[in-house]
Amino acid sequence: MKSNFLSVFLSLAFTFIILTILIVVIGKDPLEVYSLIYTDVFTSGYGIGQTLFKATPLIFIACGLAVCFHASLFNIGAEGQLNAGSFVIALTALQLDSLPLVLAIAISAVAGFTAAGIVGLIPAIIKVKKGVSEVITTIMMNFVILALINYLMVDFFAVKSTLRTVSIGDKNMLGKASDIFPFFEGSSLNITFVASLVTAFLVYVLIYKSTFGYKLRAVGFNEVASKYIGIKVSKVVIASFFIGAGIASFAGLNFIFGYKGYYELGFSNNIGFTAIAVALLAKNNPIGIIFSSILFAALDYGGLAVNQLIPKEVMLVVQGLIILSILSSDSIVRNFYTKKGLV
Amino acid sequence: MEIIYSVFSFTFLAQVFRMMTPYYLGASGANFSERSGVINISIEGFMNMAAFSFAVFCIMTGSILLSLILAVIVNILFSILFSMFTVTLKINQIVTGVGFNLLIAGVTKFLMVFLFSSSSNTPRIFVGYELSDNITAFSIALIFISGYVLYRTKFGLRLRSAGENPWAAESLGIKVRQYKYAGVLISGVLSALGGIWLVSSQHNYSDGMIAGRGYIALAAMIIGKWKPVNIFFACLMFAAFEALEITLQISGAEIPTQIIQMLPYLITILVLIGFIGKTKPPAADGIPY
Repeated sequence: MKSNFLSVFLSLAFTFIILTILIVVIGKDPLEVYSLIYTDVFTSGYGIGQTLFKATPLIFIACGLAVCFHASLFNIGAEGQLNAGSFVIALTALQLDSLPLVLAIAISAVAGFTAAGIVGLIPAIIKVKKGVSEVITTIMMNFVILALINYLMVDFFAVKSTLRTVSIGDKNMLGKASDIFPFFEGSSLNITFVASLVTAFLVYVLIYKSTFGYKLRAVGFNEVASKYIGIKVSKVVIASFFIGAGIASFAGLNFIFGYKGYYELGFSNNIGFTAIAVALLAKNNPIGIIFSSILFAALDYGGLAVNQLIPKEVMLVVQGLIILSILSSDSIVRNFYTKKGLV
Repeated sequence: MEIIYSVFSFTFLAQVFRMMTPYYLGASGANFSERSGVINISIEGFMNMAAFSFAVFCIMTGSILLSLILAVIVNILFSILFSMFTVTLKINQIVTGVGFNLLIAGVTKFLMVFLFSSSSNTPRIFVGYELSDNITAFSIALIFISGYVLYRTKFGLRLRSAGENPWAAESLGIKVRQYKYAGVLISGVLSALGGIWLVSSQHNYSDGMIAGRGYIALAAMIIGKWKPVNIFFACLMFAAFEALEITLQISGAEIPTQIIQMLPYLITILVLIGFIGKTKPPAADGIPY
């Protein structure tokens, strides 16, 4: 536990130093940049609201990934899974506009969860039946699913000459947080953020406090040993892929019900890969994921805030640096502790 | 009817061979890396990095040869970093690959805006077809080169032993880690050429221009069962899909191109399931040593 905190601290410190050097190299004042990020992201209700809004899908997806990662399943397919789920969420919601909002959202969420879950099942079943590593199959599934959705959108569901579905209409949209708390005026923060926190808590319970979670971690820790104590490994693999992929689809709830009102191809913008970094930084702990999601969202929004000084894409560099530095500092810290005999 | 004519023409065939180039370079690179036991899923990122740096160096120096060398050097540096992560620090190869892809995507997008104030593409680069044709010729020669190196040289034997059974190899005095470094390095250099080919044939660098070619290269490597000749035919097939897609788009036929786009990936999954022959990766592929 202590070593976890140490490596997270080291990697963030390292990233911070590199970023500072980068800012100096391109001839800008780091203090000015940081103070701009601070005032824009943390001192205005709009900034805080936008940060939490951007954190919402990351929390959902990273929590879903955490379920897989705990079982040592490298699900690289979140991007495809969440798009399949979100696409189905939008299509379902369009059929349900006569129902009360809560019911419409619940049914859409179940439909999205199932659709994404099924997409996740394919690599899981191939792994279980044929012993094929899930890494390549999930990567390939991303492309297959995105091309399939592209086809369905262009030929059937998209509004002419766009890549988005018909809007579900204002009356079927969730209210903004600013309706109740004027503090968040102008930001798109909505109740799905609270739902993502609840999800994180439930996933935490699932992983650390339930029998299934115990089996999940046992399989992740030592597949052979868990087979011998009677855990049905293949069931665990299939279940964790279904649940993990399903949860990732909830990212679409935020976008469709809370923000735009429609599914749009490319809305996810590779967030399914960013979420891998988020889960990694949090050591796949759902509670930690809340914080790492907020950090990544703050970087994302902070990029917009400093765009006048340095290109906002600098934050993509920062996200990449975080994932690589957490990987290396993990390894270095672990070696250090092992050498000292502390682990 | 016209489509069928245009498919069975010499121009179409020539186009397929040209389009095969980045796939085969990426796939051969990935093959060298995996034969040494390191799964490199950041072929996509490596291609992207080299494509971008080649474009930047071309604009800065004006010399094609110098830019090519510099872009390859940039990729060598990234490959060394990748090896340090996966071989020296024994960090999970998949996660490292994802990390490199994210970092490189970030670095190129950032530098695009910083250097060219554009998030989409660089100014036009005047590279003749000579360079891309030469790279295509090299990639065809690579069938023989990589076959020779892997199966007929001491280096190739040792590289493969590092990927099949590193413990046995080490006990025979082979410096396994050095061979893994070499494998990753070769993947970096070859995928660099793939990226440079894209820039020189499209006459500029644009964001997202690799468009999954690095992953298709991995797919070709799997379908080709980690064998240079088979990989080449897999790449030809994927290149034929790509050429067909373009032909169909131009002809305006009623066949959805998205279906053709997903074919490489779908076929790969089917091959992995075992519908189309059995595939077996190097025994110690992906296991840190």
